[in-house]
Amino acid sequence: MDGSYKGRVILIDLSSGSIKVESLGEEYLTKYGGGRGAAAKILWDEVDETIEAMEPENIMIFSTGVLTGTHAPMSGRSTVTSKSPATGRYFKTSVGGHWGLALKMAGYDHIVIEGKADKPVYIYITPENVEIRDASSCWGKGVKATNRIIKNETSPEVEIACIGPAGENGVKFASIMFSYYNAAARGGIGSVMGSKNLKAIAVVGDRGRVSVVDPENFQKIVERVREELYNDTDAYTLHLCGTGATTDWLSDMSILPSYNFKRGKFPGAYYLTGKYLREAGYLKRKVGCAACIYACHRFTTVDEGPYAGTYSGGPEYETLSSFGSGCGVSDIELVLKANEISNDMGMDTISAGAAIQWAMECYERGIITKEDTGGIDLSWGSPEALTTLLEQIAKKEGFGKILAEGLKRASEIVGKDSWKWAVESRGLEHSRVETRGAFGYALAFALNPRGPDHLHTEVLAEFGLKEESRKVIKKITGSEEYAKPYLIEKRAEIVKWHEEIYAVTDSAGLCAFTSTASFGVDEEALAKMYTYATGYKFSPETIMKIGRRTVTLERCYNIREGHTRKDDTLPWRIMNEVQEDLLDKQPEKPVVSQEVLNKMLDDYYELVGWDKETGWPRPDTLRELGLDFCIDPIWKRGDKR
Amino acid sequence: MRKGCEGMKHLKVIPENCTGCLSCMLACSFKHFKYFDLSKSRISVSRDDEFARFNPTVCILCEDKYCVESCPVGALSVHPEKGYILLDDEKCVSCKVCVSSCPYDGVKWDEDEGKPLFCDMCGGDPECVKHCKFAEALIVVP
Repeated sequence: MDGSYKGRVILIDLSSGSIKVESLGEEYLTKYGGGRGAAAKILWDEVDETIEAMEPENIMIFSTGVLTGTHAPMSGRSTVTSKSPATGRYFKTSVGGHWGLALKMAGYDHIVIEGKADKPVYIYITPENVEIRDASSCWGKGVKATNRIIKNETSPEVEIACIGPAGENGVKFASIMFSYYNAAARGGIGSVMGSKNLKAIAVVGDRGRVSVVDPENFQKIVERVREELYNDTDAYTLHLCGTGATTDWLSDMSILPSYNFKRGKFPGAYYLTGKYLREAGYLKRKVGCAACIYACHRFTTVDEGPYAGTYSGGPEYETLSSFGSGCGVSDIELVLKANEISNDMGMDTISAGAAIQWAMECYERGIITKEDTGGIDLSWGSPEALTTLLEQIAKKEGFGKILAEGLKRASEIVGKDSWKWAVESRGLEHSRVETRGAFGYALAFALNPRGPDHLHTEVLAEFGLKEESRKVIKKITGSEEYAKPYLIEKRAEIVKWHEEIYAVTDSAGLCAFTSTASFGVDEEALAKMYTYATGYKFSPETIMKIGRRTVTLERCYNIREGHTRKDDTLPWRIMNEVQEDLLDKQPEKPVVSQEVLNKMLDDYYELVGWDKETGWPRPDTLRELGLDFCIDPIWKRGDKR
Repeated sequence: MRKGCEGMKHLKVIPENCTGCLSCMLACSFKHFKYFDLSKSRISVSRDDEFARFNPTVCILCEDKYCVESCPVGALSVHPEKGYILLDDEKCVSCKVCVSSCPYDGVKWDEDEGKPLFCDMCGGDPECVKHCKFAEALIVVP
């Protein structure tokens, strides 16, 4: 393969210390689209249902995108694929920063890591060499210190992906932090890295080279995509205000998850916006991932008051909502402090915030008292909860030790009815979308192979907030009338399209904003970029089929682990408690009842050729996608079914 | 300081606006070499990610032309209409004095060829700027 994807893989066995470089066959590109799709196939082949997430036999696949290394806008993203200790199933987490660009420039598309080192190590990669190095200098250190130490030991030009103490300690929602502040956040993949005694992967790629097969046409399509992305209605707002641009608007619309998803309105929402971060002077720099023309990422500091000296990347909308409205906090400086702690400890802010707000509700209901928390006040908005307790979680100390297990397990430990307001399903904490006011999102969350979140299927278009999104809904359903989030009709079609385009967007290394929020990249643009970059012929149809194949393979992986239709579900609160601020705001009751979910699931299974009883892709569906190898492991499960 | 050549179209750099995305470097390399190589870019961005400090440097067609003055073999001259630096490949002895003489870090070095790289404004419509429309860390003046 001559273009921007060569299928070059570094295979590292940390148990034996062996390092090999191999090349994948071209079907990893033409059939699975490289990146996330290729990683899903590798995980299917290497980690079956007999292997647990934290066992040395589990693997981690770090992948750059097919377009990473080029100037295609927002093409610098990477994915990490593994079996998750939070869900016990397939997990892909994607991330920005500059690490993926460095790895691609160093000459590699993927790194596959298996085994467990007998002492802490990090991997150091240059265009000429790959080596495993002693990490005793940075083990136990936070993310900032780890970056400084490894830069000192290697090269100032190095790009680093590392875990913090949370990943070393096996926190169920430990992240991997890239380029200091970009998080491969979800699913506790940082703990898989910790279980392998792997602190970091450091890459020098400033001397490498990436080519495309048809430079002239590649330039033309990049220009077109670039201009469309610039012209998108929300584009400049994303640059100016970041992903937290609309936190206050969400509250106005009663869909800002607040007080552990009990409410949709939050009185202090304005202080949790990107606008406020700018106006009040906390925002010091807009930051771009590699090749990004928007730069929605933030760098913020607190210069005065009790949290003076705080500095970190972000906060993103998810963090503002999770530590802010979710925990009843409108003090932005406290949110910035919590963000700094999570980033430096290497923890997912969504899940960490979810665990704390659940504990706050338990505290309010009298299930947890100060005796349980070691004296920490867990009232809504409590500063101690977002500082002391957060650090305890990362270190697995005190009451934090329980929360570090993730909501599913923590609610089992605390007991009583606390599972009802543990807003998680399948072991993953629900991300900050009010799914009771957006049924397309609800369906997407229920189907997402990793659990209830938005980072496999971003269906923002269903809100119909701008011309571009209404156009997408019309393209999918035939009418703009379906661009209403409270409708049940056509959600299956909308989710299907978004799943497919999202999968290939991930595999390309493009930011999800390009195709499912800002709409500069569609299946035709992807086909052209893939074709001109790689030299293989892709059409809009083959692109979407690659997306469908990827999604289906990820589904099959989970089925092999025991997943059935009953697991396509949402947290109890979302399915059983009406969100009162949303009452009378939409024709449908603001709750995703089993009946509503069943209807949407039936529509979806029918549409994509999955069996309605089991929720498993039918053999004919698998054959049509060229996934014949999945048929027996799924349909001949025998007593395991 | 950092004053570009008056009257000549040149790049103005506003470091505090730079987001560190490196799109400019990728676009520059691709425009001139048809492949992507950060070390082949006529503009470079130094990054301190911990504190999000980014500093792009490129030839700003300064009035002083230290590089031209310092070249010991007279390999550098100024394009009479466009104002950017012209390199005479034949005369260049790869001494790198032009690189060290530039107070603006505006002269880059092509390791493979052993020759300096000067921004040529892509003939008047620079590619880097097209990828910096929102951030406006690079703009064309006047």
